[in-house]
This record gives sequence, C-alpha cells and structure tokens, in this order.
Amino acid sequence: MILSPEILTIYILDVLFLVFGSIAFYLSVKIYFKYDKYSSSKLQYTLEKQSYLASTIIKYILALKVALFLFFIFTLDKLSNVLSGAMCGAGVLDAMEYGNFLIVLKVLNIYLFAYWLLLNKDDTNQEQQPYMRLKFGLFTGLFFLLLVEILLEFYTFYNFETDKLVSCCGTLYSSSSTSMVSTLFAIDNAVLVSVFYINFALLVLFYFLKSKYLYALSNLTFIIVSIISLIMFFGTYIYQLPSHHCPFCYLQSDYYYVGYLIYTLLFLGTFFGLVVVFKDKFFKLSFVSNILFVLLVSGYVLVYYFVNGVFL
Amino acid sequence: MKNMIELKNINKTFTSGKNNVVNALKDINLNIKEGSVVVLKGASGSGKSSILSLVSAISKPTSGEVIVDNKRISKLSDKFASEYRLENIGIVFQKYNLIEDISVEQNVILPLIPKNTDTNVVEKKVEQVLDIFEIKHYKDTDVKNLSGGEQQRVAIARAYINDPKIIIADEPTANLDEKLSLDFIRIVKDLKSKNKTIIIATHDPLFFKLDFVDSYIELKDGRII
Repeated sequence: MILSPEILTIYILDVLFLVFGSIAFYLSVKIYFKYDKYSSSKLQYTLEKQSYLASTIIKYILALKVALFLFFIFTLDKLSNVLSGAMCGAGVLDAMEYGNFLIVLKVLNIYLFAYWLLLNKDDTNQEQQPYMRLKFGLFTGLFFLLLVEILLEFYTFYNFETDKLVSCCGTLYSSSSTSMVSTLFAIDNAVLVSVFYINFALLVLFYFLKSKYLYALSNLTFIIVSIISLIMFFGTYIYQLPSHHCPFCYLQSDYYYVGYLIYTLLFLGTFFGLVVVFKDKFFKLSFVSNILFVLLVSGYVLVYYFVNGVFL
Repeated sequence: MKNMIELKNINKTFTSGKNNVVNALKDINLNIKEGSVVVLKGASGSGKSSILSLVSAISKPTSGEVIVDNKRISKLSDKFASEYRLENIGIVFQKYNLIEDISVEQNVILPLIPKNTDTNVVEKKVEQVLDIFEIKHYKDTDVKNLSGGEQQRVAIARAYINDPKIIIADEPTANLDEKLSLDFIRIVKDLKSKNKTIIIATHDPLFFKLDFVDSYIELKDGRII
C-alpha cells in the first residue's frame, strides 16, 4: 500500500462519490419507479424536487469522474518513480492485479458517463423533461459500474506493492510480451496504417453524407483502430524510436505531455461521433476533433520524414 | 372570456422541522378570467401571498395544479418558470423591491435585460412606459431620492414594461397614504382597460367597494370563504 498525495486525493474523492452517489442512487430508483409527469400529487411534487437534487449530484460526480480519468493516468505515471523497473504508467499497471481491467473499465465508463451528462443536459433544456425516467433509470445501471470502478480502485491501490519488480514498457509492449499485446505485432504496419486512413476516410465520407448511423459506426471502429495504431505505428514516431511502442510514455514531460492532447481529441471526436445517432448537432464537433487527432499523429510521421528523409 | 388562471385542488404546506408544519393553503379551487381584476382579501397569514407566489411560479404547490393561459406552470422547472415569469407576469411588491442606487430608467428596463432587447426598442419602450405612469421627469433620478408614491409608480412601470398578461400586486398600498392609494387604484383601472388580468392581495378597505373589480375572494386560514 502506498499513500501518495495523488492516491489520497483519489481515495477522498472516491469516498465522496460513494456517499453522494448512494444518495443519488436511492433517489433515482424512487424517481424511476414512481415518477409520473401527469400527476399533481404530493408525492409527484416531492419527486420533482428530489430530481433536481439527484441530477445535480450525478452531474457533478460524473463530470468529475470524466475529468479525473486524466488525473488517474497522471497518478499512474507518477507512481512509476517509486516502482523498480517501471518507466511509466504501463509498468505501474503491470504491477497491479487488476490494473488492465481497471483502465478498460474507466475508458468504458467515461464514454457512458459523458453520454449521461449529455442526456441530462438535453432533458433539462426541454420544458417537458422527456428523458426524466430514462436518465435516472440509466443512472441506476451506471451506479453499479461506478461502484465497481471505485471498489476496484481502492483494492488496486491498497494492494499496490512498491517493492515488486516489474517490467518496463519496452518489454510490455514488445513482440516478446506474454500479454495479448504481442499478438498486435503480427499485424503488418502497412496494413494497419492503411486500415487507419481508410477508416478515417470513411468517417469523412459519412460526415459529408450526413449518414449518422454509418458515421457512428465508423467512429466506433476508429476508437479501436486508433489505439492499436498509436501503439504500433504513430507512437514510434513520437518517440523517434522504432522499438518503443508504449501508449503511456508520451504522457510525460519529455514529450510535452502530448499524450493528454492525443487522448482528449480521440475521446471528444469518437464520443460525439457516437452520440450523433441521437443528436445531429454534434457532427461538426466530432469531425473537427477527429481531424485534429489525425493531423496531430500524422504530423509526427511527416515531420520525422522531412527531418530524416526516411520512415521508421 | 377565457380562463386565464386556474387553481385546482391546491394545497401548500410549509415545513420547518418535524413539528412545525403550516398549511398555508387548503383545497383551493379558483378560476380567474382574462382581463379581470380580482382582489384577494384576508388577514395576515390567510394565504393571499401564497396564491400570488403560485400564480407567478415563484413557488410550487404541495399538491394540485396551477394552470395559466392553458399551461401547467406548477410543473415547470426553475429555468422554464423564470422564462414564464419574464414573459407573462409583472409583479408589484409591497416594498417595491427597487434598486435604490440606480436611476428610474435603469430600474424600469431591468426586465428587458434577459431578453437582449435592441437598444432602440428599449429606449422607445421606456419612454412610453414612463409617460403612461407620469414619471418621465424622474427618468435620470436615483430611486432613493423619490417619495413612496413615486417609487411605487416606478415599480408598476417596471412590472408593465414587458407587456405581461398578468399583473400581480402584493399589499400595494400598505406604505401609501390615502391620496396615493387612490392614485394607484386609478392606475389599476387603466391597466384593466388594457385587458390585463390583475390580482391584488390587500386588506386595505379602499379596494373593497370598487366598481371595476370583477371579484373579491376572501381567505381565512388557507381556505376560500
């Protein structure tokens, strides 16, 4: 167990999220089952008042959770300083029993939490509040995901062994890795890069055709293709090292924290790309974020080529 | 004439702690026609102000419905209740609630600010309204330098500038002498001629025998009697 200021911050926030989240969960269940917008009973007015309280609590918890994802990554990165063998967050994740599961859950949650926030905004902007029951029903499900994430976070940090010898990211993200990462090395870079740009070209095409379902689908595949491409191809240009494939090291100061910008753009682009199914107005925001993401990662490749005259 | 305001089975309870429950309104049913003047009378604590705050969507009932111009305003969220108030209601408070350190003109245009009204339109409207309520010569005077009666005219002008369908006055003559109270009554009569629906909560006897008032509603202990 280690109590760094960052972990203490996460613990304190998790306790607050747990307490207030439980209150919001209790109210959400009540609202979901008993809310009737056509009723003028005492119970209905009480539920309407409670819905303001519950949605305010949920809004702040989920918004903070989305923002705290970057803080979690930052914490992992900082912990690598106290772990023998670890050079970045990848080594720290390797030292944790459920580290990889936790990060996948966190990524899934930020997409779902962001969707809830959007639904809530849409609901409160309409006089009839048409999504009242839907959003609280959805939160009852999200609360369990939040609970799992918090408990897993507690468990992970509580059982974190600082004296454990771990592999550095150079080993973890290599063809000799024992994890499923090694299978990615079987993919030919030319094929991978082609898939990446074809996926992006489709995304652009569906944007101009304003085909929301196909655009959302291309965004869904773009999340996966982009993460694999970052590990296998673009990352090596950021590091200017053909053998370095870590998706964490470019979050460090040596690379001007560019990883935060890369992941934020990817998240914004793909998240709003998925919600265009419900709201057309996000087409542009998604499109611009995706373009900036592609320009940024492609820029590293082009700059390397112009400076050195060769590709890696 | 159509119903402008409908109160259906309204109950309003104020709770402060477990043992301190006040039933301000009990089973109130009320219809007010468009363009009518209604006087709510009764002793302090009888529920007059509670009805006004429900009609103006400042508060919500504990149970029952408030319908204004065919819209269930008691179900509106705070955001939409504010919009409803801005568009439909003009309020004259007992203590006027003016901002004393700014001019008459600046006080009167306050309700136009959230609407981002064009400056030329604002200037035209404010000139008209100050003219109607005979306070044009005080346009640039700070409110704190006006008498009670003059301040009340500013409050009425502010309530009127948005051209609301409903004007609400809560004990409007409580701080005025008889002459100024009669001036206010004359203004109410003028507003009625402009087809405004007006609700006045008062226990001032000057209001109780007016020929242009459409109905008197007496309240006692939260009930209509």
